[in-house]
Amino acid sequence: MAEGQWWAVALTEAVSSEKPLPVVCEGEELVLFRNAAGQAFALEDRCPHRRVPLSPGVLTPGGLQCPYHGWTFDGASGVCREIPNLHADERVPARHAAKAFLVAEADGFIHVWRGSGAPTGVLPSAAYRPAGREYSGSAVVNMAHCNYLETMLDGPECLLAFPCVTITDFFLGEPRRDDKHLVLDHGGVWKGKGIGPAFVRDHPLVLRTRVPLVGGAIFVELLTAAEVPLVTIFIASTANRRGTTSLNWRGFRHAHKIPSAPLAWQLRRAAGRAPFEVLAEVKGASIAALRVAPSLNLTSRTRHEAECRNPR
Amino acid sequence: MNDIAIAKAGAADGYENSRLADWVPIHFDLRDTWFPVAFSADIGTQAVRRIVHAQAYYLWRDRGRIRAAEFRPDQLEELRRSATAFTGGTGHYPVTERYGYVWAWYGNPDNADPALIPSIPFLPVDGSNIPRYTQRTVRFDAASPLSVENLIDLTHADFLHAKAIGDGRSESDIVEVQSTSETVTRTRIVTRKSVAPVMRWIGGVRAKYQDLRAVLHVHLRNNLAISYPSFSPGYAIPNVQPFVPVGRHRSRVDQTNYTVAAPAPFRWLMPRISYVIQPQDNAVLRPQNERYFDADRRRDLSSRFDAPGNRYRLVMRRLAERQRRGDFSYAADGDPSVDISAVLGMDG
Ligand code: FES
Ligand SMILES: [Fe+2]
Repeated sequence: MAEGQWWAVALTEAVSSEKPLPVVCEGEELVLFRNAAGQAFALEDRCPHRRVPLSPGVLTPGGLQCPYHGWTFDGASGVCREIPNLHADERVPARHAAKAFLVAEADGFIHVWRGSGAPTGVLPSAAYRPAGREYSGSAVVNMAHCNYLETMLDGPECLLAFPCVTITDFFLGEPRRDDKHLVLDHGGVWKGKGIGPAFVRDHPLVLRTRVPLVGGAIFVELLTAAEVPLVTIFIASTANRRGTTSLNWRGFRHAHKIPSAPLAWQLRRAAGRAPFEVLAEVKGASIAALRVAPSLNLTSRTRHEAECRNPR
Repeated sequence: MNDIAIAKAGAADGYENSRLADWVPIHFDLRDTWFPVAFSADIGTQAVRRIVHAQAYYLWRDRGRIRAAEFRPDQLEELRRSATAFTGGTGHYPVTERYGYVWAWYGNPDNADPALIPSIPFLPVDGSNIPRYTQRTVRFDAASPLSVENLIDLTHADFLHAKAIGDGRSESDIVEVQSTSETVTRTRIVTRKSVAPVMRWIGGVRAKYQDLRAVLHVHLRNNLAISYPSFSPGYAIPNVQPFVPVGRHRSRVDQTNYTVAAPAPFRWLMPRISYVIQPQDNAVLRPQNERYFDADRRRDLSSRFDAPGNRYRLVMRRLAERQRRGDFSYAADGDPSVDISAVLGMDG
């Protein structure tokens, strides 16, 4: 059993010193916020006084103030700093504290450490190196986390869209193990060029998905056949409640000009339109119809995850 | 390797275990008590369905006489075979009317004695002349004991409801709690508090400060809260809030805010304040509910302001424990019909 894990749980720009942000990480409810100096904090979204969520509370110089009776909790330690109406000579017991999480902010993401072990320095977003304009977003998709990861191998075309590109369901080989990820290539073609995906000799495009064996960091790359990267996306995924999955992503279009790309692709690029879409609404019928194939290699992970126990 | 800033977290994970069992409000299903299931004025010849815990109560009038049954009147004959022990197999619950309410018995019908109906000294016993504007129905989105706890809890009022009923600033604020085997009584005496906005703007109280003596008297079995807040300068706003458990996760409250002695228009407007306050309470109660489903390793932390609420938790557990052992009787200190005008401070 792993000791602990970093999870990217929110986009940097979504966390402010004005309004606390509720998020769910591996089914656990958390609240994120910043102090006036901009430092980010994460507490369990549960007041230790009477268990109400802290996220509808207000941010004060002392920390996050619970909406119910106004106890105020320090962001870094979770310690209760103030209980309203106590006399000046009364002290709040030190054990009055909300559960605090270690927070690391990097690459445009807020990460929290979940687990008992000492945190390691490598963050899920470490391999994401944006260049140029970024496109970011968040969504909760109507799928269990393990199913989302499996689908990212078996049918990423059900979860992602690239304007001007058709992702085929032809897998280029077997998933390769790369450290903590399984990596798989799918063939892709430009829309409206050539005679269609069924008759193409060699796929001019490759969609490469890296699906985590632990944690929730998904990397997606759209490449030319010569492995020139066109688009890179980092999708931070984690289990939300009731078999849904929280997603936070950032991605960008690489600077290379691709002469073989269709005019529409060049025009969208010139207009600064997003080069990809992470679907917030998945089509149940398409997901259900998807045949199990490369995700077979992921069963070592999913065997442990309860949501996946339903029969195929 | 990333250049990361790590915020330091404290070890706030393990709370010490209390000697007491945890508070699991959905487990309470206290028997042998009268529930005010409806305003008398709401029941006519058409049957309406009310619910107490998991039992259905169909209420209607038959040639003026009040009826309460497990089934719709037109299905009564057909379904009587499946009548439960709550009606002794007859399908009919013991039912009576008092204080403008229909009271239906929940428990063993052999023990149903109208003498066990709680005394509400400020309401006319026969329910006559209770104006309709004093009667409101509100709903709470949590287990009834959680909602009662919310009512007992005073510090949240100063915080969650500050805009409507004023902040807690005062010269002195004394809270006392007393209990019997069947009730919890919370008394609050406040001197020189700033006048609540509603009292100032529509209540006609022009003074800057007022004194308050507020007594809340809660019957444990039926979640009946009788409250007598008296302001000076100002007036008393006696009220009744019966938290009737509609299943384990919701309650219905047919409340009577008996403002007849207050000046107009306050008299008419004050009862409507529940429509402002109750959504504020529901905003915290709704998410709170599911967090009390199971005994939690981490006990709730308290301040000295929680003494009345913690007493309520304790006496509820004691009563439930007694009922688990099969004892549904009322002890000598717990006669619900005893006159509480002095407890409420009605003469003072
Ligand atoms: S529940 Fe948070 S302060 Fe009371
Ligand atoms: Fe309240």
